[in-house]
Amino acid sequence: MRPQANPNRPKGFQHPIEAEFARLLDFYRIPWEYEPTTFPLALDETGSVSEAFTPDFYLPLQDVYVELTTMRQALITEKNRKLRRLRELYPGIRVKLLNRRDMRSLLIKYGMEHEEARLIGNPNGSRSQG
Amino acid sequence: MATQTAPDPRADLDPALRAGLGPIVYPREQIEARVAEMAAAISRDYAGKQLVLIGVLKGIVLFMADLLRELVVPAAVDFIAISRFGPPQESRGAVRLLKDLDLPLAGRHALLVENIVDTGFTMSYLMRALHARHPASLAVCVLLNRPRRRLIDVELDYVGFEAPEDFLVGYGLGHHERYRQLPFIARFEPEDITAA
Repeated sequence: MRPQANPNRPKGFQHPIEAEFARLLDFYRIPWEYEPTTFPLALDETGSVSEAFTPDFYLPLQDVYVELTTMRQALITEKNRKLRRLRELYPGIRVKLLNRRDMRSLLIKYGMEHEEARLIGNPNGSRSQG
Repeated sequence: MATQTAPDPRADLDPALRAGLGPIVYPREQIEARVAEMAAAISRDYAGKQLVLIGVLKGIVLFMADLLRELVVPAAVDFIAISRFGPPQESRGAVRLLKDLDLPLAGRHALLVENIVDTGFTMSYLMRALHARHPASLAVCVLLNRPRRRLIDVELDYVGFEAPEDFLVGYGLGHHERYRQLPFIARFEPEDITAA
């Protein structure tokens, strides 16, 4: 299996926190790409991709992928499993996961805690298919 | 025999300063001891060199003062300030210098002193800006390092503590300009935000 260009690359951000994260990267003049790559994780009996992971951002200068999740820690088991699998299959790929706690801390750091409900919203739901 | 408990340094604080303050993560004595160790290492490494400490305003003032007091080698001091990211209505465009250095760096050994590094965004910007001044060397001294959140690799030469994930205040670290003067570092626990 090989990483492939995301065939369903979205035209816009799927969640407000992603737009805000892009604004943060722009502020620090850090080049980024949104969901550029899909990593197949499993194939079915016909050889088609049955499971895949598409990290939210790619930072080309740092060669690192970034995945944002707003789910509570207890609910991100599936996402963690996919990330572990990705790291097993693609050991040279660096993927960083920023969880709800990380993003909440960043909101406080940047004086934006009043935006928490809008940006990281309901902690029991998913904001990303991964 | 009953054990004596040290008085809680938060007890005497004005209620306005006490509000939102959680448990102390790094007491004053622990910070003092670690800063002295860092200063000793820096003094050894920079003996006989033209050292310039560069602090990032405003949070650096306490750490810089304490570090400087413990150094036993000559050291010049300068400060730099940059704009910070914030809500869209307050933060437009890209990061920029708000206060530039007063001292030239060319030929001098620069040591960037910062309170905390997590994503590495600010640090990488500052390193680029300082490298452009052609110092003889450029190193980084941080009190708190939070590597789990690092997105931009930055090389840290002197590190005080590996910080927990909590949002921290005190010893220069502020929240809406509050808590900076505290001599310890504590967890910030805003009451109006539900726990994650």
